[in-house]
Amino acid sequence: MMMQMMLIKSALALYAAATGMALTYLFSKDDKWSLWMLRLLGIGVLCHLGSFGARQYLFWQIPENRWFFSINSFFGALSFLALAVAAAFFVIEREHRLGILGAFVLPCAALGTGAAVIFADPATRGLPPALQSYWMNIHPMVLMAAYAMFGNAFGVGLALLIQEHQIKSRKPSELCYRLPSIEELDNLNYKIIVAAFPILTAGIIMGGVWAYEAWGRFWGWDAKETWSLVTALLYAGYLHMRLVRGLRGRKAVYVSMLAFASVIFTFFGVNYLSDLHGYLSARG
Amino acid sequence: MSPLSLVGVSHKNGALEAREKLAVVSAQRVFDELRREGVREAVILSTCNRFEVYLFDEKERARGWAVELLERVSGGAVREQAYLMEGDAAVAHLFSVASGLESLVVGETEILGQVKTAYEQAKAAGMTGKRSNVMFQRALFTGKKVRNDTAIAVGPTSVATVAVQLAESIFGSLAKSEVLILGAGAMAELTARHMLSKKVAKLTISNRTWERGRALAESLRAASLPWEQFESGLESADIVIASTGSDRPVVRRQAVAAAMTRRAGRSLFLIDIAMPRDVEETVHGLDHVYLYRLQDLEAIVARNLSARGGEIAAARALAGAKARELGAWLKSLAAGQELSLKHSDAANG
Repeated sequence: MMMQMMLIKSALALYAAATGMALTYLFSKDDKWSLWMLRLLGIGVLCHLGSFGARQYLFWQIPENRWFFSINSFFGALSFLALAVAAAFFVIEREHRLGILGAFVLPCAALGTGAAVIFADPATRGLPPALQSYWMNIHPMVLMAAYAMFGNAFGVGLALLIQEHQIKSRKPSELCYRLPSIEELDNLNYKIIVAAFPILTAGIIMGGVWAYEAWGRFWGWDAKETWSLVTALLYAGYLHMRLVRGLRGRKAVYVSMLAFASVIFTFFGVNYLSDLHGYLSARG
Repeated sequence: MSPLSLVGVSHKNGALEAREKLAVVSAQRVFDELRREGVREAVILSTCNRFEVYLFDEKERARGWAVELLERVSGGAVREQAYLMEGDAAVAHLFSVASGLESLVVGETEILGQVKTAYEQAKAAGMTGKRSNVMFQRALFTGKKVRNDTAIAVGPTSVATVAVQLAESIFGSLAKSEVLILGAGAMAELTARHMLSKKVAKLTISNRTWERGRALAESLRAASLPWEQFESGLESADIVIASTGSDRPVVRRQAVAAAMTRRAGRSLFLIDIAMPRDVEETVHGLDHVYLYRLQDLEAIVARNLSARGGEIAAARALAGAKARELGAWLKSLAAGQELSLKHSDAANG
């Protein structure tokens, strides 16, 4: 337990420091800040993985939990999600050389980890029989991978709104020349969402299959189910508008941000509404 | 007496006539003259704004012999405007020049390339030695460091480069962008040339007088579009530069709005450098349309320049510190106890 908390707190500190580097890099053109951001982030991800490993060890001390991933609790899920956001950023940033976007994405990873440390209960308990399924290792993981990608798209969208505003204002600050172009941000936002959408859809369908096996029905309008459907429909709406209607730029980003708000609500808000998926009601 | 001395003229002392005469003098001619005088180590920096000779020389000479040498090679009077510096002052001057602190547009980077060329020219002519090698390499290194570590070279400082940079902030690389130029006057041509230097995908010129537009298009190897059809050109162009002599706006909101419905959300960047204005102001209110007027571009240039001004003190301090290091090294070398300079730094030059 101590190990787990020590490591996740180190990860939190490193994410916060990496965010600080990212913000500094936003206003200073020295590449060393970007480099340090990546280094700190990399070590942070490793600490976070370590923390997750330590948690897994504790989790498996309880016999019925053996070989299931420990992401059924609020702490486990939030910690995993923040880890996924940081790791996804690491991959996307290195691919596209857009360290500047760290200022918009890394705060999500730091806030997620911070919320887990401060608000969630890290204790590990035995899995209820309904969750003792191999789906436990697939369904939430797949969805959270999609959420992490959407989190990155949100950061990209935020950067686009700032860039668009800069240029529309006719008084661009230095930031304007540091950020990627509107077209690049628009394309990246789209590319991330178009890659994450099938993952989200697959995750939801898997949930349905699991629900059929566990509860005998594919879909039951549980709050989590309903809101995940809303999320999927909003992202589908974004893709439709962009591909069919040619809606791009600022307004397209508004739609994708609305969809991300739905992600956040599905993840956090639904805990208070859902009987079956509530991390906090401890029944799910 | 220090073996290092500098003689030169620059824009700072006026000296337009002297600079014009010296600008056409080849470095080789000066090297020949210096060799005849027994000087074995010299670098000649010749740009449109300055002509400077840096030389290392052990002989006792009459003050001002180098000025006479300049007069001899240029065949004109430079005595009034020429400056003479020795030792540390000459080193400090070179480092300041390389850092862009002596340039008309403070922080400009062209001078760095010119210093490099001057040094390479001297090296090829066999006119450099250990002192001048290290001094010029350090000067180049310092020029880069000053521009990296301070904001002295941040932001473009001409209307044309500001326009290009804004276009890049909208579209990224301009390699896929199409440019439409309305007008065929001097401003239109200047901007067109600047866009061509950025290797845009396509350049089209549309002018109210067909022949003039086509003539300019031909000289630039661009396409030309009849004036009656320029509104249809708004559908495919990404960047439109309006520079006609029309006394009323020629690009109307209605035409742009109609074009935008067929652009599938692609951005449109309009640059209006005409006086009076060519593009209706309300166009800027359309989604994905960015209209910049000449005054907007000029305001950005002015802001960049004043921001550079705020960094001058920091840049001077840095260039000065590096110059003092080199000055101390030169003295240590003369005294036979060579100090070590950070060679990793010098090698970057």
